[in-house]
Amino acid sequence: MGGAVDYIQFVFMPQVFNGLTIGVAVILMALGLTIIFGLLDVINMAHGEFYALGAYLGITLASHGVGFWLLLIAVPLVLLPLGYGSDRLLIQRVFHQKDRHMLTLLLTFGLAIIMEDMFKLAYGPNTIRPETPISGGTELFGNFFPSYRLFLMVFGTVTIAAVWLVVHRTRYGSMVRAAAFDKHMASSLGVPVGKVYSATFAFGVALAGLSGVLLAPIYSVFPTMGKDFILMAFAVVIVGGLGNIKGVVFAGLLLTQVQAISSLYISPVWADPLVFAIMVLVLMVRPQGILGGKLGHA
Amino acid sequence: MRNRCWKTFCLTFAALACFAAYGDASEPIKIGVVTPLTGTYTGIGQQVKWGLELAAKEINASGGIIGRKVDLLYEDEEANPLVATQKAEKLFQVSKVDFLTGTVNSASTLAVGQLAERNNKLIATTVSFSDAITGEKCSPNVFRVNAKAGMQSAALAEWLAKEKPGAHVFYLGPDYEMGRSTVAAFKSAAEKKGAKSTGEVFAPLGNKDYSPFFGQIRAAHASVLYTSVAGNDTVRLFTQMAEYGIRQHLTVVGASGTVTSQNIGAIGKVADGYVTGVGYSPEIDTSENRKFVAAFRGMHKADPDLYGADSYGLLYFYKAAVEKAKSTDTEKVRTAMRGIKWSTPQGMKEMRAGDHQAIQDMYAVKVVDGKFKIIGKVRGNTAIGPDTCQRF
Repeated sequence: MGGAVDYIQFVFMPQVFNGLTIGVAVILMALGLTIIFGLLDVINMAHGEFYALGAYLGITLASHGVGFWLLLIAVPLVLLPLGYGSDRLLIQRVFHQKDRHMLTLLLTFGLAIIMEDMFKLAYGPNTIRPETPISGGTELFGNFFPSYRLFLMVFGTVTIAAVWLVVHRTRYGSMVRAAAFDKHMASSLGVPVGKVYSATFAFGVALAGLSGVLLAPIYSVFPTMGKDFILMAFAVVIVGGLGNIKGVVFAGLLLTQVQAISSLYISPVWADPLVFAIMVLVLMVRPQGILGGKLGHA
Repeated sequence: MRNRCWKTFCLTFAALACFAAYGDASEPIKIGVVTPLTGTYTGIGQQVKWGLELAAKEINASGGIIGRKVDLLYEDEEANPLVATQKAEKLFQVSKVDFLTGTVNSASTLAVGQLAERNNKLIATTVSFSDAITGEKCSPNVFRVNAKAGMQSAALAEWLAKEKPGAHVFYLGPDYEMGRSTVAAFKSAAEKKGAKSTGEVFAPLGNKDYSPFFGQIRAAHASVLYTSVAGNDTVRLFTQMAEYGIRQHLTVVGASGTVTSQNIGAIGKVADGYVTGVGYSPEIDTSENRKFVAAFRGMHKADPDLYGADSYGLLYFYKAAVEKAKSTDTEKVRTAMRGIKWSTPQGMKEMRAGDHQAIQDMYAVKVVDGKFKIIGKVRGNTAIGPDTCQRF
């Protein structure tokens, strides 16, 4: 009996909590991806590298004396024009061609490879680890919860809510949704569709950069870090429904909990295939995603 | 047309090679080095190259081997067994090397070993850990001058038994060949010395978050954690352990590739207290080693690690054997290598005739202020374990 209580208290409960913090991290990554996907219909293969860019920018700025809290604002601000420019100079060039799915996929994939190599050249191949900005933790029910992870959950939740508000409750958000619903109609009604596209890409990229700064103290920084969350984030976007913010939150929590709890009972190596099996099932049974509805259609 | 060109080229080359083979004694001895010069293991390949270059320079300056200079011919292995065999084939067939070394990946060493048998040449590894190379998959053409995984485990288990008798150990390894074999090797070594195993978990290679396993470690009431994760995975594991404050209650020990000069900078303070078993440390306090470390620093502006030291020692092993055989003939050199004793930065090593595994003293080292300090030593004869090679 004592064993069972021990198990729930020290193994099961922390597992759910750890699953939650990883869930918030994955949702932050998937948010930017789903917005870009839902509106522009572009699969941004370089999303992970923008996440890495955010982390590396954070390290550079921190070495010039910028404090961690300021980084949470500064890094997304630097990435906004970079994202805007990438869309204008690269993606819009091929966006209007017939086979744009293939072209944008290849283009962003190429961008990802170039960025990864640039990180290697600029920062070297070895891992860099920023110090955790909040150390210590809280003891709850005999378990230890690191303060930084608690902060990450709160900050992540606030960010997710803010993104939802921007997309669903602001003028910019309604333009985004209008352009996603019918770009020709939106354009003829005076919505500057091209600019909205670029701004949305920039917004998604800035979100990836913010995740990079937030997660660097836990997961450390190295050139190939962009590949870390990207597969999981894609799975979340597909299961949640393309461009659907609520869907991303739902699928993000679901898949990371499946991953965390299943790894208690099966080899952790099989937790990933399980998650992707769910993704394949969703694609077969409900290809529009569990919560369905493309951005602008809900 | 291209085909004919190729044939002419080959014929010319073969003719030249014939002349080379019957060349006079002043022809250099050619040693092929198939080692990773790019990719994940670049850092290891660098040390292999540095160690060999220093030894070649010293040997050539003092008259070479049986009056012949040593020539090192490099090929990039890319830590890929397929590439390694292609490059080794090229060195055997085209460059006609007398001897070959440098392979890092254990699978590369095994594959190149088979190739060496077909070409009737000898090879030696200075890096590969897998016990199989001088165990169940041993080859009459393959020698190992570095310590195998089992010897590292033996040194660590010995230290653990002395410091924490009857410790409760939890094992955490990366889920592939290296991770599973290192955990199995240490587990059996530690259990023989009285440690109790309380559980094990294998995380995927490149795992992001280790915190999901901390509950299991805690519920297992372990006092020692053995791990064989490597590279970035180690950085994350140690960071996250510090984050959750579980280092205070745990002694963390592990494989020699877990904390290295490549990742110790990123791990930082939380690496302190980590203990591992190795066959070399620049700290070894003997006159041979001090001389070697000084020469190495002078030539390469960096400290040698175990790979650099063992690769340096390898050329002296080959020199001793060729001088004893008075020839570079495969058959004669092999006979000479068996049971030979030679001097290395780690002291005298002996090549065990039965399985071609070098016998050497092993050390337990601990990270103190970001540097490895020697805290224990196990005699070579105790560490090496029984000869399990059946093939020769």
